[in-house]
Amino acid sequence: MKGIIKKADKLLYLLIIIFITTSTLSFQNFRSDKKIYYHRQPFQRDLKALNKGQPFHSKGIKYAPDQILVKFKPNLTKQMIKAEIAAYQAKKIRLIPRIHVYQLQIPENLSVEEMLTIFRQNPDVDYAEPNYKAYIAVTPDDVFFKWQYALYNSGQEIGPAGSPRGKSGADIKAPSAWEETKGDEQVIIAFIDTGIDFNHPDLKNKILSSGPDYANDDNKAADDNGHGTFVAGIAAAETNNSEGIAGVAWNCKILPIKAMDEEGSGYYSWIIQAIIWATDHEADVINLSLGGEEPAKSLRDAVKYANENNVVVAAAAGNDGASVLYPAAYDDYCLAVAATDYNDNWISWSNSGPEVDVAAPGERIVGPVPTWYWGPGSFPYGYGSGTSASTPHVAGLAALIKSIKPWLTASEIMNIISYSSDDINSSQFPGKDKYIGYGRINMENALVPIKITSGP
Amino acid sequence: MKRNVYFLIFMMLMMISVYFAYGQEQAFPTESNISWKPGFGFESFSRTIEWDGKESTSKLKSYYFTFNTDIELQSGLTLSGLIGYSFSSFNSLIFKELPFSLDLQAGSIGGFILGAGLQKNILSFKDIEIGAYGQFVYCLGVKENWEIPGLAVEGTAQGKPSWMRGKVGPIFSYEGYDYFQPYIKFNFNKLWGTFKMEETVEDLSGQEKKKITGKSLLEASLGAIYQLSNSLSFQAEINLLPYKGGVNLGLVIKGLYSF
Repeated sequence: MKGIIKKADKLLYLLIIIFITTSTLSFQNFRSDKKIYYHRQPFQRDLKALNKGQPFHSKGIKYAPDQILVKFKPNLTKQMIKAEIAAYQAKKIRLIPRIHVYQLQIPENLSVEEMLTIFRQNPDVDYAEPNYKAYIAVTPDDVFFKWQYALYNSGQEIGPAGSPRGKSGADIKAPSAWEETKGDEQVIIAFIDTGIDFNHPDLKNKILSSGPDYANDDNKAADDNGHGTFVAGIAAAETNNSEGIAGVAWNCKILPIKAMDEEGSGYYSWIIQAIIWATDHEADVINLSLGGEEPAKSLRDAVKYANENNVVVAAAAGNDGASVLYPAAYDDYCLAVAATDYNDNWISWSNSGPEVDVAAPGERIVGPVPTWYWGPGSFPYGYGSGTSASTPHVAGLAALIKSIKPWLTASEIMNIISYSSDDINSSQFPGKDKYIGYGRINMENALVPIKITSGP
Repeated sequence: MKRNVYFLIFMMLMMISVYFAYGQEQAFPTESNISWKPGFGFESFSRTIEWDGKESTSKLKSYYFTFNTDIELQSGLTLSGLIGYSFSSFNSLIFKELPFSLDLQAGSIGGFILGAGLQKNILSFKDIEIGAYGQFVYCLGVKENWEIPGLAVEGTAQGKPSWMRGKVGPIFSYEGYDYFQPYIKFNFNKLWGTFKMEETVEDLSGQEKKKITGKSLLEASLGAIYQLSNSLSFQAEINLLPYKGGVNLGLVIKGLYSF
């Protein structure tokens, strides 16, 4: 029986790999009025690597404030060691057997560093060190997490064997931020897009309601395109469920609203209604992985309405290598999101302009696609590129900030996201620039308490 | 804030008036037995503190140098005062209500120390003197500025601590030696205070005032006064504040000169 299960597991993994390698999709050229493009990836057979090679995240160097570990030289008797310990006014807590290391309680008036200095000067001491603390890593067990370089980039291959390698650190520092928060279930991210696949295994438990469909004028925002499912998953896929990918905001809810049709385009009127509906239905964040070239006061008024009601709006800058699309270009009310790649470089197809606030990874991002997308028996995940993929990283971060600091206004959250970014192109363009705004977002800076260690 | 200023003014006026009162006595000697013992002192303590509704703990480590006066108003009744400068470390105090959360690891922050105490002998049993002792110490920290590192824009944090400590309890001293007076004290020892942190990052700003309280309340002190000469005495004392999971320690050293 066990053998059958093992074979079934292998078959499962094989199917996952076949799916990923034969049917990666690209959103690189996505715009609200354009179709999704696909491209093929090389085949991958490395089954064993799926659950291994996960990045380890350390919480930082921390140690017991009143203890040290000391190993004395082997020629010392127990009585001599006892006398040495007493001479330093330390107290033996225990002798760790086999390796003969003493765990000592240090005197209250001395710090660990001072005590270590004293012990290390003693020729009878082999070594003395702090009693460090280890932490379990907040690394989700989702099978494709290792390819989500956007969340954690250790310089790994960003996909199946043969895929390019990313640059270590070219990520949004998600695991360390998850130590602080994984999001609040009460915080809602509205995805105004092509809808969502309500049956997707990585999304179905996260969906708050069926949502309105302005494209078909009904009350179920079912995804007939694929884009909305992909985008929602990046921000808020169910995480640590041994399935698919990790979302940026583990626990926050998804509110799907369909304002784009099956071709991936939608009238401004649909989008405007969707923004207002989301605001009125307690959305905390709105993700707009869409945009149009034309400005419209009504569209501006809609995002202004959201902003004034404390809803953070994250919008895609666009993928034409041109100026920033609308509504992202409404700078006061939207965070305009540009795209970076797995080497922390701005991508030339990412639209630019003074309205760009921040950037997030948008090249070869793995995400969910509708269960019907690849046909029966396929695994509903794929790759996509574009500022459409960058934007939900920002929306997810906004939701996490809202989760731990619900009193902040939308504008304050937008500023926190901007100011906490890493200015990755500072050598060429120091400060805010038209390509990546303030920089590539940094979840750790935005969420984890910043250590204040010295004076001005 | 106003209360703190009033308290400081009150304490300073009290010490000045005591000083001048004594000065008047010197100028016009009377039958009064008031004796005045000025001197210098040093105190250090480490105290586990609780904050955020006792959900979080860290350590307050403080040491301060003081100018002391012990005024024996009448036999067995001593009023004491102290004024000085302190260095208090609030490391690992975390502020999560600011736009950017901050973890204070900046080491010691300076502050002014003011304090007053009263000791009254109540009864004697052979060579054992039993009395009551009380002390109040107030530390008003100075404002400290820090840069907030790692952001895309410049940001600053400004912190200002203050803490108070009140002690009261019985004191048992042994008077059987000529030049050496050991004693033991059992105190109810309460420490409380605030740490106000302000943050400014471009157009973002916020402030958080964190209330802190000492974790342990019962203290045992062991000390002794050495009479080095007719006019010079030296006092040393160690304080132990046990709490669940450990013990906090303190040390007091004083040198006093008698007129």
